[in-house]
Amino acid sequence: MTVTDRPELEGLGNYKFGWADSDAAGSAARRGLSEEVVRDISALKNEPEWMLDLRLKGLRLFGRKPLPTWGSDLSAIDFENIKYFVRSTEKQAASWDELPADIKSTYDKLGIPEAEKQRLIAGVAAQYESEVVYHKIREDLEEKGVIFVDTDTGLREHEELFKEYFGSVIPVGDNKFAALNTATWSGGSFIYVPPNVTVEIPLQAYFRINTENMGQFERTLIIVDENSYVHYVEGCTAPIYSSDSLHSAVVEIIVKKGARCRYTTIQNWSNNVYNLVTKRAVAYEGATMEWIDGNIGSKVTMKYPAVYLMGEHAKGETLSVAFAGEGQHQDAGAKMVHLAPKTSSTIVSKSVARGGGRTSYRGLVQIEEGAAGSASTVKCDALLVDQISRSDTYPYVDVREDDVSMGHEATVSKVSEDQLFYLMSRGLGEDEAMAMIVRGFVEPIARELPMEYALELNRLIELQMEGAVG
Amino acid sequence: MGLETKPVSTLHETTSYNVEDFPVPTGREEEWRFTPLSRLKGLHNGTAAGSGAVAVDVDAAPEVTVETVSRDDARLGRAYVPADRVSAQAYASFEKATVITVPRATAASRPTVVNVRGAGGGAAYGHILVTLEPMAEAVLVLDHRGTAVYADNVEFVVGDGAILKVVSLQDWDDDAVHVSHHHAALGRDATFRSFAVTLGGDLVRLSPSVSYTAPGGDADLTGLYFVDAGQHLEHRLLVDHTVPNCRSNVTYKGALQGDGAHAVWIGDVIIRAEAEGTDTYELNRNLILTDGARADSVPNLEILTGEVAGAGHASASGRIDDEHLFYLQARGIPHEEARRLVVHGFFAQLLERIEVPEIRERVLAAVEAELAR
Repeated sequence: MTVTDRPELEGLGNYKFGWADSDAAGSAARRGLSEEVVRDISALKNEPEWMLDLRLKGLRLFGRKPLPTWGSDLSAIDFENIKYFVRSTEKQAASWDELPADIKSTYDKLGIPEAEKQRLIAGVAAQYESEVVYHKIREDLEEKGVIFVDTDTGLREHEELFKEYFGSVIPVGDNKFAALNTATWSGGSFIYVPPNVTVEIPLQAYFRINTENMGQFERTLIIVDENSYVHYVEGCTAPIYSSDSLHSAVVEIIVKKGARCRYTTIQNWSNNVYNLVTKRAVAYEGATMEWIDGNIGSKVTMKYPAVYLMGEHAKGETLSVAFAGEGQHQDAGAKMVHLAPKTSSTIVSKSVARGGGRTSYRGLVQIEEGAAGSASTVKCDALLVDQISRSDTYPYVDVREDDVSMGHEATVSKVSEDQLFYLMSRGLGEDEAMAMIVRGFVEPIARELPMEYALELNRLIELQMEGAVG
Repeated sequence: MGLETKPVSTLHETTSYNVEDFPVPTGREEEWRFTPLSRLKGLHNGTAAGSGAVAVDVDAAPEVTVETVSRDDARLGRAYVPADRVSAQAYASFEKATVITVPRATAASRPTVVNVRGAGGGAAYGHILVTLEPMAEAVLVLDHRGTAVYADNVEFVVGDGAILKVVSLQDWDDDAVHVSHHHAALGRDATFRSFAVTLGGDLVRLSPSVSYTAPGGDADLTGLYFVDAGQHLEHRLLVDHTVPNCRSNVTYKGALQGDGAHAVWIGDVIIRAEAEGTDTYELNRNLILTDGARADSVPNLEILTGEVAGAGHASASGRIDDEHLFYLQARGIPHEEARRLVVHGFFAQLLERIEVPEIRERVLAAVEAELAR
């Protein structure tokens, strides 16, 4: 059953990024994790001693920390079967043509070079397996002092800045997967925006896993200096394999006084990827941090982007949309920690579960003593389109200050007969009508996305909803 | 598939009559992480000496039978299986149970009052079973006073078409510790109205839960609490919708004042795949009157079917709205009086739901007294 009669959608399965390319590097890679693997990764990258020490500390803590007992069932992850580091190409390319043909064709299929050509993005990074294979930033931004490189290069070329902030927002032992990432990280983006610089067009990164049983551990560090603005967009895909891969990123963001950072993710991993990500930002006086988080793919996602509001009038915002189809569990949410007076936060979460999938909103709003005059609102809506799907809401609220306002509201609803009837009486098919209702449901979030991503999201919804009715 | 290997709900995974099935809480468990274990006086780890004196005395309506039975009475423990360690400890340790029965198709002519009086000493354990036979109707008051270290389980079995209205007052002295489970099992078209008022005690942890055995059950769980400096008052609710076409509504409101006042409210609702046509809503509001108080509010919702009539929850915590105070003060009402009126208004809507006028007056007076402190 097709959702629309648009010919470009025909012949596509429910996941259109599921092809696998030739994989010499991946099949040669070693499985399992040991001190030797960690030392090898560090040596391959010629890292300074302190980074190796941190990695080893991460490895020790990873071994010691228990798997989370809440959220999704993670017991099926076989850490010994994962490939922790896969080098796909020897050299980072400065133009798409320098890339090996199979990797270039991957990104062509994903449409990244085209977007860059059309100047829809100000800089692009493409990570294939463990490392960033292509990197480019617009010349004028570079002249203004904006740094946008892959994280390995960031460590090599900006070690002082890097050392100051790396691990400052998410400590090595924050949780099991942050420790694992610290031990094995590779790739990701390193961004520094100097004071009073506005980067008008988004910087974009594209993450692709190609190898089976791959573990991708990118590490992103973004520093937005005073009164600056940057918007960073990331997208993720992987091939469909019968056994599982692991994606465990750490993203640290520092938003200084008066600055604003927006971080948009459209996660569309294939349904054999465990996506266990730690994302956290600190926002200082008058700063604004916005997470826009779309979770459509993956087998299991556990991701709770956090904002620590450190300075007066700091503002945090999370807009989150999740889809869970058959066999998927999206355990997503947000975390807002108010540590300073007059801070504000907003969480809006929308989720749709279908075909036996499960969506969970899990959030924390914490207002610490002294954060007087702070306000927080949380709103989560879940839409259920059939009888076999599941939706959970676990909102934690901890208020330790009297002069605050905190509100949480959740609704769970099914698609109403009235809405369907209204649309169908105007000549729409049932599945078209259903897709339209779902699109309308997530519209408040879709409109915050860059245009091409909003279109992409709508198309993904149509694919997800395909066959949802009847 | 990894998803199916876990219990259906991540809330409340273990139930057992055996204390040993529950490991000693460390404070890191989800169900214990808010509770200050050191103030439980050993109820949670088996070190509490069972030498306390708590008297249970029932002033019953004439139509109602009251028995005091030994722990091996076959009727006990059938509606409710303990869901945490303290509850299992209470079940394993109580000596005498109170059994209250309202016969079939009988309406009790006046409220039945169960006076639970603590007279100090070490730990004490209790068990109460209240059974409403089909089509029976009764109002029950559980009145907890005095001082005690007390753990108990209360079972409400509400038969087909029966109507049970319960008011449970936790009006302990300042040093009391009380950990209690109240479980209601609702038959076909049964109605259950519960009103919990928690005011006194050093630490009170009350866990009301509801289960349904047939369609048409209707439960309202209402609560009011006032937390003062140093008090820990915790309410953990669970409504488990396992059958179609039942209804539940949870409304808890609390006010907090003083240093170290800590309110915890956990509201869990599970709508299982079979429970189509469920209608449920949960609400918690906290009014924080002074600095130094802390309110944790967690309304959890697990929904396993799309065929719900309605499902939602809301939680809000904050202080008195300045505009409300301004409005009243602009009309010549002094600040303190205005504050009192606003808190009154906050609780008024709930108080109306208390069936017994004397109790309503008493709670109102208690709220007044708290505000005057």
